[in-house]
Amino acid sequence: MNSTVITVTSGKGGVGKTTTTANVSVALALIGYKVVAIDSDIGLRNLDVVMGLESRIVYDLVDVVDGVCRLKQATIRDKRVKGLFLIPAAQTRDKTAITQENMISVCEELKKDFDYILIDSPAGIEQGFKNALAPANRCIIVTTPEVSSVRDADRIIGLIEAADKGPSQLVINRVRQEMVDRGEMLDVDDVLDILGIELVGVIPDDEAIIISTNKGIPATLEDDSLASRALKNVAYRVTGKQIPFLDLHQPLNLFQRFSKLWNRG
Amino acid sequence: MEMTNEQHITIKGTSDGLIINIYSGRWSSILAELDDKLSKKADFFKGGRVSLIVGNRILKTDDIKAVGDLLNNHQMTLWSVQSSVKETQTTTEEFGLEMVPSPLKAPTTPKLEPNHTTQTFKRTLRSGQHVEYAGNIVIIGDVNPGAKVMAGGNIIVWGHLRGTAHAGAIIGDSAYVCALKLIPVQLIIGNHISCSPTDNKDKRIIPEMAFVSNGQIIAESWE
Repeated sequence: MNSTVITVTSGKGGVGKTTTTANVSVALALIGYKVVAIDSDIGLRNLDVVMGLESRIVYDLVDVVDGVCRLKQATIRDKRVKGLFLIPAAQTRDKTAITQENMISVCEELKKDFDYILIDSPAGIEQGFKNALAPANRCIIVTTPEVSSVRDADRIIGLIEAADKGPSQLVINRVRQEMVDRGEMLDVDDVLDILGIELVGVIPDDEAIIISTNKGIPATLEDDSLASRALKNVAYRVTGKQIPFLDLHQPLNLFQRFSKLWNRG
Repeated sequence: MEMTNEQHITIKGTSDGLIINIYSGRWSSILAELDDKLSKKADFFKGGRVSLIVGNRILKTDDIKAVGDLLNNHQMTLWSVQSSVKETQTTTEEFGLEMVPSPLKAPTTPKLEPNHTTQTFKRTLRSGQHVEYAGNIVIIGDVNPGAKVMAGGNIIVWGHLRGTAHAGAIIGDSAYVCALKLIPVQLIIGNHISCSPTDNKDKRIIPEMAFVSNGQIIAESWE
């Protein structure tokens, strides 16, 4: 099977790696691909919670590596979407529980059955990140339009290039269009100027994402919010489709329209 | 620029083993040349241990593996790699080889007139990456925030200079720094240090040249 391993990473924590991994995995499965998401954040597992599969965990990635169970036993099938699977991280161990070779051999085995293997990388540039990067064919870099986050993304891209794991693709998360319009937030071009890699997604900052994450139902699975549509577009672009970027201007409500008119006058 | 009849490597025997100097050129052609040279004096080189001196070349894991395998074929062992770039040093360490960082004045470069030799880096330097060289440095690409360039002589950046630049580490205040867009986090020339104004919102590309005048770093647009 022609299979692609994509590592989702960012350097900085809390920018949306897990949310991106979960939603892009769902969206790829909705398109019709067979997808497995792997949580490589050993000791701080999250992906299962975001995907709403926590209650179904029996075995995890470390159990597979330790030979406690077979890979198939640790692979949880998402009953809501055909073709979507999850391999959770262990919560009781730490990053030293697995090696780069372990990740490579797990992915080699998964490649027989899956079109896309998405690896949710831990934050940082240490062992955990190196484990997540080892089997990658390419990477998705998640950043927010903040200077510190872009700086870390730049560092990570440099490390990925040095490890020959490119090309990297960029997702800019939590964009607040109204702040960009006021010149108070970096815009897409500012970020691209520095990072200089292919852009595959611009995701608006959207409450719907927080709600769906807390419920354990990825936004791409149920609602039709702007963020959800933007994340689905990421999946299409990952598959190589050219799709125009969404206009992130939210429709104004009556009051906002009025105050805009007032300010203009 | 690359000439086929040019010699890309030199081999030198020392009491400590063989030292192989590698100059610019494509890695594959260097390996071919090395293979050729070693084959010609197979008996002489047999059993030797080798130090590679690679200068500022970036070696990936596969590159080091390739040269290691090649040497093994000639019954020689790769013992250490000397490099002045971080990436190569990291790969070397991952390989479990002896890693000897080249000092700022690389032993491979003959005692240079700091002003006269120039190294060119044709890539963008990203955060955390850094290059240094005793002579002049030319970078075809950007220097991003968090990246650092240090030169004994002058620095020219054909791109955005957003990171840190230190020129004149050897030649001092007579050094200059040029960039298509000069907005460094920090600029050091000789003994002088300056910071860019933080509110630089101007996106126009205006090439500038920074130098020391009356004990101060000043930047002038290139016209």
